[in-house]
Formats: sequence, C-alpha cells, structure tokens
Amino acid sequence: MPSDLLLVLPLLIPLYGALLCLAFWQREQWMAVMAGLAQMVWLLSTVFLMQRVLAQEVIATQVGNWPAPYGITLAADVFSALMLVAAAVIGLSVYLFSLQGLDVTRRRFGYYPLLLLLQMGVSGVCLTGDLFNLYVWFEVLLICCFALLSLGGSKGQLEGAIKYVTINFLASGLLLSGVGITYSLFGSLNLAELALLVRQPEHPNLPLLSMASVFFLVGFGVKAAIFPLFFWLPASYHTPPIAISSFIAGLITKVGMYTLIRLFTLLFISDLGFVLPLLALLAGFTMLIGVIGAAAQTDFKKILSFHIISQIGYMLMGLAIYTPLAIAGSIFFIIHNIFVKTNLFLISGVVAQRYRTFSLKKLGGVYLLQPVLSVLFLLSALSLAGTPPLSGFWGKLMLARAGLEAGNYTLVGVSLCVSLITLFSMTKIWNEVFWKPRPLAVKKDTIMAPVNPIRLWQLYLPIVLLLAFILFIGLYARPLVRLSERAADGLLHIDTYTNTVLSNNKVK
Amino acid sequence: MRTIIFATAIRYLTPLFLLFSVYILFRGHNHPGGGFIGGLIGSIAFVFHALAHGSDRTVNTYFRMRVYSQGKQPEHDTPQYMWDLVRANTWRRSEEVTPSNWRYYIIRVRPAYMMALGLFMAATSGVLGLLQGKPYMSAIWLEGKLPIIGTLGTPTLFDAGVYLLVLGMVLKMVFTMSKE
Repeated sequence: MPSDLLLVLPLLIPLYGALLCLAFWQREQWMAVMAGLAQMVWLLSTVFLMQRVLAQEVIATQVGNWPAPYGITLAADVFSALMLVAAAVIGLSVYLFSLQGLDVTRRRFGYYPLLLLLQMGVSGVCLTGDLFNLYVWFEVLLICCFALLSLGGSKGQLEGAIKYVTINFLASGLLLSGVGITYSLFGSLNLAELALLVRQPEHPNLPLLSMASVFFLVGFGVKAAIFPLFFWLPASYHTPPIAISSFIAGLITKVGMYTLIRLFTLLFISDLGFVLPLLALLAGFTMLIGVIGAAAQTDFKKILSFHIISQIGYMLMGLAIYTPLAIAGSIFFIIHNIFVKTNLFLISGVVAQRYRTFSLKKLGGVYLLQPVLSVLFLLSALSLAGTPPLSGFWGKLMLARAGLEAGNYTLVGVSLCVSLITLFSMTKIWNEVFWKPRPLAVKKDTIMAPVNPIRLWQLYLPIVLLLAFILFIGLYARPLVRLSERAADGLLHIDTYTNTVLSNNKVK
Repeated sequence: MRTIIFATAIRYLTPLFLLFSVYILFRGHNHPGGGFIGGLIGSIAFVFHALAHGSDRTVNTYFRMRVYSQGKQPEHDTPQYMWDLVRANTWRRSEEVTPSNWRYYIIRVRPAYMMALGLFMAATSGVLGLLQGKPYMSAIWLEGKLPIIGTLGTPTLFDAGVYLLVLGMVLKMVFTMSKE
C-alpha cells in the first residue's frame, strides 16, 4: 500500500464508520454492526501502518498535494504507530464490552459514532505533522469527549462534563495562543520545518521560544492531568458509564502525554536546562499527589481515576530525565498503562453490573461468586503496581535505571515509594471488593441474578483479550522494549523525520 | 411570531434563500463563500419557515414526502397506470382527490441522514485523489466550464458535502430545540 493511503486510513475509517452509523440512526443493531466493522478495520490499518513504519522508520504524506511547509502534513514514526495500535486495541475491547455493558438508550443515541469520532481525533493527534492541526485535532477530541461524558444526561454526568469542558477549553485557549506565538516567532507551523528552525543557534527569535513552550506545557499539562492542573480529572472521569469512561480514562490523558513528549523532543529543546528540572518536580508531585488522593478514596472508579494521575507522573518522569533509556521507558509505560488502565476500568464495570455499586463499603465477597474475574483483576492490578514479572515492572525498571544513571536519585526514590503506595491501594481494592465477606447491611436483592453465560462471556471477552496483551508485554517484554527504544531513538534523532517530511514535498 | 405578514413573506423568501445559498456555495471557490456559509444561509430558509409555521409544519412541508401508489390492476394498461401514478404524486396530492384505496409511503429526510451524506461526500471527494495515486484530497478538475457554476471538481464536491453537513446540523439543532 502507498504511504499516502496508509496514513489517511486511520483517519478515514473511523470517519466512514461514524457516518455509516449516522445513516442507520437509532437502529441500534445496525449501528453496532457498522461500528464493529470499523473498529476491526481500524485495528488492521494501524497494524499495517506499524509494519510500514518499522520498515521505513518515518512515513509522510502531504494532504491536498501542497508541498510541505504550506500544506497539511501527516507523518508517522514508531511512537505514533505504537500509540495508534494501542488505541485501536482498546477501542475494539471497549466496543466489545459496550455490546453488553452499556444501556440501550445510550447505544441508540450516538454512542458508537461518538466513540469512532473520538478515535479519529486520537489518530489525528498522533499522525499530524503540523502544530495548528494538532490543536484542531485536540478540539475534535475534546468535543467528542464532552459529548460522550454527558451522553445520557444524568445529573452527575452533566456536572462532571461541565467541569471537564470548562477547564479543557481554557487549556485549548492557551494552546491556541502558544500556536500563534510560535507562528509569529518562526513563521511556520510545520513541525519538521520548525524543528529545523529552532536548531539554528543564530535565529533571532530563539530566546523567545521558551515563552511559547510554557503555553504548551500548561495547555497540554491540563489535558494530561499533570500536577497542579489535574483537579478536573477525578471530578469528571468517574461519572459516565464504564463503556465510556474506560476508553477516555485509558487513552485521552496519554494522548496529552504523547504530545508533550513529541513537542519537548522536537521543538522546545532550546531551554532544556530550565524545563527539565521543572518537569522533574512536576513529575514527582504528580505521582505523589495522585496516589495519596487515591488512598483517600472509597469508590472503585474514583481510586482508579486518581491512579491515572499518579501514572502520568511516571510518564513525565521519563521525559524529565531525557535520556534515550528514560524516554523509551516513558513510551513503554504509556503503552502498558493504556492497556492496564482500560482493563481495570472494564473489570470495575463488570463488578458494578452485578452489584449495582462502585462503593467499596457496599461491595464484598466477589471472589466467592466470580473467582475468574477476581484473578483477572489481580493480574491487572499487580501489573499496574509494577510487580515483577508483569508489564508495569519493566516500565518502572527502565525509568528507575535511567534515573539512577542520570543521578536523579530523589525522583527515583519518590517513584519507588509511590509504587509501594500503589500496591497498597490495589490491595485495598482487592481486600474490600473481592476478599472480605459481603457486608450484611446490604440487602440480598440488590445483587443481580447471574446473567446468562453468553452475555457474561461477551463481558469477559474484552477483559481477557486485554489481559492477554498485558501478560504478553509483561512476560515477553523484549519486543515492546525494543520498539520503545526505537521510538525514543526516532524522537531524539530527528533527521529522518525532518528529511522524510520535507523531502517528499514535490507535487505529484 | 405567527403573523400573517411574516408567514406570507416566508413563502416567497424561502426559495430565495435557498437559491442564494446555492449561489454562495458555488461562488466559494474563487470568492468569499463556500459550503459552510452556504449551508448556514440555506438553513435560514428553514429556520424562518419553522418560526412562521412551527417546526412540525416545516418537517411536513420539506422533509417528509408522501408517495402514493397502488398495485397495478389487471384492467389498467401500463401508460394509464403510469399517468395515474404521476398525477397522484404531483398536483393531486391532497387526500380528497387521491382515491382512498391508494396506499402511501412516507419518505423522511432526517437531518442525521443529511449530515451523513454530507460527511460522506466531503470525505469521499478526497479519496478520489487517492485513487489516482496522489495524496489524499488532491484536487481533480473536470475539463470545460459550466456557465454559472464554473468548473466542476472534487473541491466542489467537498464544498457541497460541507453544505449538506452544516444544513443538517443546524436543522437538527433547530428541530430538537423547537420541540422542547
């Protein structure tokens, strides 16, 4: 397949899927069929993209056939392809879960097209080679997230969605200002051309670049939920149904993180002496505050929401250390976290579907009734906490090693302590939800009767699928570690990227 | 706003708005205009109609069509049958004139369908470039020039798609809000 096609497919497939869903408006089963097809083809297309990127390192296309600095560039390297494959896998799993795990009203009222458009936004962010388009794709993301978070319109959901959208609009305003400032400083928005411009030491506007970078740091910091800008996340992520919050919680903050890593390796490299200590500080506080917040919660979904913040800290830690190993560790951690976090949310959804509650106080004794589910949870939770030999361990090992090599002992110490508290927090869920006897105060009839085996199987299928991925990247970590190292290498040596984007700018 | 002056004026203004919106749509390639603005102007026609007559009547007038038909009877010859079909579906639309044993089907144009079609046209206009081995959204122009519309090409198709999308989107909002 030509790379023109390969780069456009991850954008077009969700779009076509969404509009096929629109064409079958309110016929829920047809919509489900169309969305399922789109999910599968999307996964295939990202796998093809990955394959091509592995062979060619970077591929690029110029949408509209206008040459590079002026036209709209789409480009993919190993990092973006990795993100897309991960997004496609969890997209498929969340879709499979939603078949049984989401109420009919929401499914009929636009859940599938919105999810697909959200995925299109994710593809756009990961593939774009243009700063302004990056902002536009983030808006696509934000609007779809807002619609999904408020879908169904229960009171708690609207409250959460308003918090989410208010602060994210502010962040988008900052991003747009940053884009404008960058354009006025360098006269270009193409990432590859900007990357070359900021590497000219004699460029007159270079000292002003750090000002622009602050706008991006704060803007994407809000979107990635970095300390101290994370308050919107636990306030909004636990409100919608699991089939919605699992996708958003699993992926969207990591997309913010992806952009931070991309921009701070490609563009804002002139003032790293100032930025990196700041990032290290933020990373330490993000993981600490997130995990302490989680320890204070007594709600299954809220604990998981706070853990998202804590895990973002680890990804930021890799960027703050800024060695090839550290950035590879960050990338490994992002991929691992996308899978694990989604899986934990899905498991909480299965528990809640049977017991009608997320409150740790009211839950209990799940192990007796659903031992398989308990084992699935245990493996995912240990993986999140980073118990060897599961996937979280390798990510943390890479980060810790990189930190020790760079002499950043405080940060490594904090991260290891946070690991312990994460383990404690997961043990708390395990004790309260799965292990302790059912509280007597809760009436018997609040438990749903065991659902029929086919429905149960459909709920378990995505969880087992994701766990298979998690176990694979944990027990056989070498391929993903190698991939992460290649991705980090591509990020730190930008020649291939700039050459590919700027060289195929002849009009065909 | 249900005054008789407004309601009468709307009858003459609606086609004018629509015509103007299509003009703006095709003007958009080289001058200010295009699908987005055209779609907004086109939607004004229906919004005013809904203001004057209520949105249910707008839907009934423009977005819901009854198609009358009757199974072909053995005593009818084919031309006669076709003629009756045409007559029932064009000027003799009211139920008093159409024989009561005729069935009718309701064709509804939902705003969601318009949005889907618009998105499809806009997205597919880009795919045509791909088929020629060029990047996505490369423009392909037809030979020759039409009198008012100008040259036709994939960008025109894209604009028409945007037009339908915007029109469908605004109508969806207006109809939903006027229901509440």
